[in-house]
Amino acid sequence: MTDKKQDEFYIGWVGKTPPTFAALTKRFVLVLLPVIILLGVLLAVSQKKFGTGNFEFGTLTEVRGIYFDKPVPNLRVVTGFGLEGNNSFVTIPLIGYGKFGADGAISDIEKAKHAVLNGKWITLKGTLLYNDGKALMQVDIGDNPITNIADVTPHPMTVDSEQLGSITVKGEIIDPKCYFGVMKPGEGKPHEDCAIRCILGGMPPMLHVVDGSGRINYYFIVGHDGGKINNSIKNYIAGPVAITGKAIQYGDWVVLYTDGPQSITAISKSALWQPKGSIMACAAGGTPLKTPTCSVR
Amino acid sequence: MGAHYTAVGWNRQKKIYDWVIFAFCVTYLAVFITVTAFANPDYTFETALIRSTSTLAFLLLHVILSIGPLARINHKFLPLLYNRRHLGVTMFFVALVHGGFSILQFHALGNTNPFLSLFLSNTQYNSLPGFPFQALGFFALLILLLMAATSHDFWLHNLSPKMWKTLHMLVYLAYLLIIMHVMLGVIQYETSPVLVVLLALGAITIISLHLIAGMKEVKNDQVVYPNRKEGFVQVCHINDIEDSRAKMFCIGAERIAVFKTAGKLFAVSNVCKHQNGPLGEGKVVDGCITCPWHGYQYLPHNGQSPPPFKEQVSTYDVMVNEGYVWVNPIAYPEGTERPGALINLQVP
Repeated sequence: MTDKKQDEFYIGWVGKTPPTFAALTKRFVLVLLPVIILLGVLLAVSQKKFGTGNFEFGTLTEVRGIYFDKPVPNLRVVTGFGLEGNNSFVTIPLIGYGKFGADGAISDIEKAKHAVLNGKWITLKGTLLYNDGKALMQVDIGDNPITNIADVTPHPMTVDSEQLGSITVKGEIIDPKCYFGVMKPGEGKPHEDCAIRCILGGMPPMLHVVDGSGRINYYFIVGHDGGKINNSIKNYIAGPVAITGKAIQYGDWVVLYTDGPQSITAISKSALWQPKGSIMACAAGGTPLKTPTCSVR
Repeated sequence: MGAHYTAVGWNRQKKIYDWVIFAFCVTYLAVFITVTAFANPDYTFETALIRSTSTLAFLLLHVILSIGPLARINHKFLPLLYNRRHLGVTMFFVALVHGGFSILQFHALGNTNPFLSLFLSNTQYNSLPGFPFQALGFFALLILLLMAATSHDFWLHNLSPKMWKTLHMLVYLAYLLIIMHVMLGVIQYETSPVLVVLLALGAITIISLHLIAGMKEVKNDQVVYPNRKEGFVQVCHINDIEDSRAKMFCIGAERIAVFKTAGKLFAVSNVCKHQNGPLGEGKVVDGCITCPWHGYQYLPHNGQSPPPFKEQVSTYDVMVNEGYVWVNPIAYPEGTERPGALINLQVP
């Protein structure tokens, strides 16, 4: 019997596997099955938590507000009236379809409507994305995004900007579209190429900053004159950086005016860690960011 | 083994093998995606798909790379080796889903062609931590594509076995590229050590199996045969070779298999013309030396595959003297008929 087993010979094209060969193959498969399941569970649970961002893919929402093209294309939406006559509002930065900024879509709308949108009350239709209490809107020319441009602005509004001083903040340069909901993860090395492509496509670059307590803040990054510096910061996208600039609060966002790449230093991951509360102290010179203030003329 | 080419020479074994591969893949993908969905309610399906297919392809690659040495260490693993190309093609398609979705996700709908974007987005080629890891994955996928596309005997014969084998040895380069793809990519993002530990365990397993199998070969290759006479080398006693089986001897640069069949000894090259399989570990079946890897066959007396097949291996002179087997390690041209050596049954 033993000799017969020893003499067994496997030939693949014969179609029948000798018993001892079949037995070992079966054992191998039976051992591999739980290993595969265990690895699947282990790899799945060891993933970093996915972000909480949301992209309302396929759902179009109409939003009415005043369009401003600076510091980044945005729509200011009045959400209420204060006792002192001040409006409360949210600022919804606008971004384009795919990996593009909103400038192209806005320019197309202006050409089609023979109108300049800056400072106008408009009703815009687009796809919302939101996270961390912030909202952005994707404007796609294919969605016929503009539904109304008011001839008269009922509540002309100027927005007070608040100088927060010159600051240095450490964080990661992200593209806001992916980070706020389109992709998970929308940050870090795996997302680097996409962030670069989005920012080179005109998406406003943003610095994502986390302090020691896990509190997150966001800074739009522009040049010293408010112009785009997207192309010149390519090598700093998605890596840990320290950026020095003049911080100005516009509504519920902070914008960092920089001298471009000269203001940015690549740092190590370990240097990225910031003590609890350090961002706010740094950003506002010891004063927490105030509730957005607007004056209505 | 077939006289003409068919896409897949299906038989019961291959069907079972493919169903098992399919069941494993579906099980793994289902487990990964389901657990991800439960552990991370904010997950996106695209990311779960990209990650589940990447890890599955890498797991399959580990199994594929393990099969070769496992079959060398224990020939009972040969059924896994015979159908390995099905596993390889499956692994390529799983990796293609990962690569395809990643290119769509990270590079499509931008201001540059997605394939150019792959190389031109991150251009920090001079920095190790900043290195564009996706390009590494792309080249690994390209190698796997070449291997999957040529994973058929039609290509083996048309490219020549040597060229084909060299091409398929690139799997080790692909493995290295994938390790770097993971190390310079997702590992720089994830905080859990699980991925690093598994990657290390996988590499240790692959390297260990290859070393064990290699040492077995080396041990055999290093045997010294001191007795030489008139060009012949004494290699063993005739009782050391079982009937219908062979023993392999490495003499100088020659790897020679000496078969015992039909009361005679025959010496042929140990290297199968198909994929360099070890003929000496084969068996004489229906009068033909049969390679243990894929069942290619040769006639013992001339090293020729039986018609209509055309493969040929070198033959050698062999003789029996006082119960000992002597081989002349000078090879005859492939397919040369040799008389073999009659076995004197009255051996001492």
